[in-house]
Amino acid sequence: MTEPNRPDWMLKVEGLGKIHGAPDRRSLHDTGPEHGTSKSRLTGSVVAAWNVSFEVAAGEALGVIGESGSGKSTVMRCIAGDQPATAGSVRLARVGDGATEILDLEPAARRRLRVDELAVVYQDPAEGLDLRVTAGGNVAERLTAAGWRHFGDIRSRASELLSRTEVPLERMDDLVATYSGGMRQRVQLAKALANRPPIVLLDEPTTGLDASVAAGVLDLIRNLLEELGLAAVVVSHDFRVIEMLTTRCIVMHHGRVVESGLTDQLLEDPHHPYSQRLVAAARS
Amino acid sequence: MNDLMNAVVDIRDLHKTFVLHTIDGRSIEALRGVDLTVHGGEHVALAGSSGAGKSSLLKCVYRTYLPTAGSVLLTPRVGAAVDLVASSDAELAGLRGREVGYVSQFLRAEPRRGAFDIVTRAGVFRGMPRDEARDAAADALRRLNLDESLWDVHATVLSGGEKQRVNLAAGTISPPRLLLLDEPVSALDPANREAALALIADLTLQGVAVLSVFHDLDAMSRLATRVVLMRDGRIAHQGAPAHVLELLEGVAR
Repeated sequence: MTEPNRPDWMLKVEGLGKIHGAPDRRSLHDTGPEHGTSKSRLTGSVVAAWNVSFEVAAGEALGVIGESGSGKSTVMRCIAGDQPATAGSVRLARVGDGATEILDLEPAARRRLRVDELAVVYQDPAEGLDLRVTAGGNVAERLTAAGWRHFGDIRSRASELLSRTEVPLERMDDLVATYSGGMRQRVQLAKALANRPPIVLLDEPTTGLDASVAAGVLDLIRNLLEELGLAAVVVSHDFRVIEMLTTRCIVMHHGRVVESGLTDQLLEDPHHPYSQRLVAAARS
Repeated sequence: MNDLMNAVVDIRDLHKTFVLHTIDGRSIEALRGVDLTVHGGEHVALAGSSGAGKSSLLKCVYRTYLPTAGSVLLTPRVGAAVDLVASSDAELAGLRGREVGYVSQFLRAEPRRGAFDIVTRAGVFRGMPRDEARDAAADALRRLNLDESLWDVHATVLSGGEKQRVNLAAGTISPPRLLLLDEPVSALDPANREAALALIADLTLQGVAVLSVFHDLDAMSRLATRVVLMRDGRIAHQGAPAHVLELLEGVAR
């Protein structure tokens, strides 16, 4: 109530689009679910994602589901700043009270957001971590980027984070390259959350892990989202992950959003032909 | 009973048609125009053969199924009535919990959470302070005879009947204004079933509006203040439990 001008969402994405190759709008006419492809015959460009819009509030997780090549990771990467978007708008409630266009920020300012506002957890820990550095060193790097200077403070905050993400502290000074896949994901979570960002983007955070390890990481993520009241976007092809973490989701196919709804509704009463096939395949 | 001021949910001309794109675009009409009002302190039990639309009606009210047409007007604790059919996903997510709850037949077991934790979190989710939720969770689990040695065991390893009691405890702690019950005692032995029915009966005394599906007539006759008989996605009869159940038993004989 002390900040009357702030919107009720934390992250707002409007009309986001990414075209690989010539950004020729004619590519939109022969791509998408009804054309069965995201590659335009007319222009040769690939419409990886187009016209994607959603909002996420604090304490809420939104799922983005689809098969590989559907454009879901592209959406995440355009929001994170890993890829330049071709069209659309991304705004954050805490940046300029939600009025600043994130896609127009300078690269340095954009990188800074990754420390303070919008953390990313990748499927491949090597993207979010430096494997040649210790777990403690990885977390410390993020804290240093956030302006922490006192060694003792950094060390104690890093220990706190790593114990919260269930990394054994006796391994804190080992190189991440010596860690198992599940442990690397836990370190990646600790690093992402180091400076208490209010938004986290998770891209297939448990894909590729053994089932029992994945269950543990999933459970940790769910508890973190709940306890920290984060606004989260969870990108996954796995309904189990989407069902456990999210209340609402969007379904992507050939670069477009084909359906959106409450997660339980999308699983039990999918409407679009593609969503029905996807759910049927997951259930069989 | 017919005081409209006290109506918690007012269902009007509700339709649900499923279009199955994976099976030649076939369509199935699950609900064909349902009108039903449930008041606070009223327990309305849905009866009828399987496929009559009972569970579909519960799921359409909770919006696990998206209704095809019609309205579901919910009067929340504060503020104006909202049409659950027309509400945005985010609005509906906000109403779930304190205003509308759904207890299914099965606990969606959460891998690394114990029974006590699951029930406590449900209470906190519906706005209880944590200490209060812990006390209420302990009361509910004791009341449902869940052995205290199982409270911190991960719920995935519990038996079917134990899971169902955890699910009922989680669904009824700090009860929502409208509670949808879908076969909540189906897996319970007689003694545990009695405890569960007593707990559900108390909800009505507390003023909760309950809309339920039970497969046994005994539970309906003991809990319901009104029984609604469904047939082919419509309401065929409704009235006092004794009256409707007599009709049903007549059909069964």
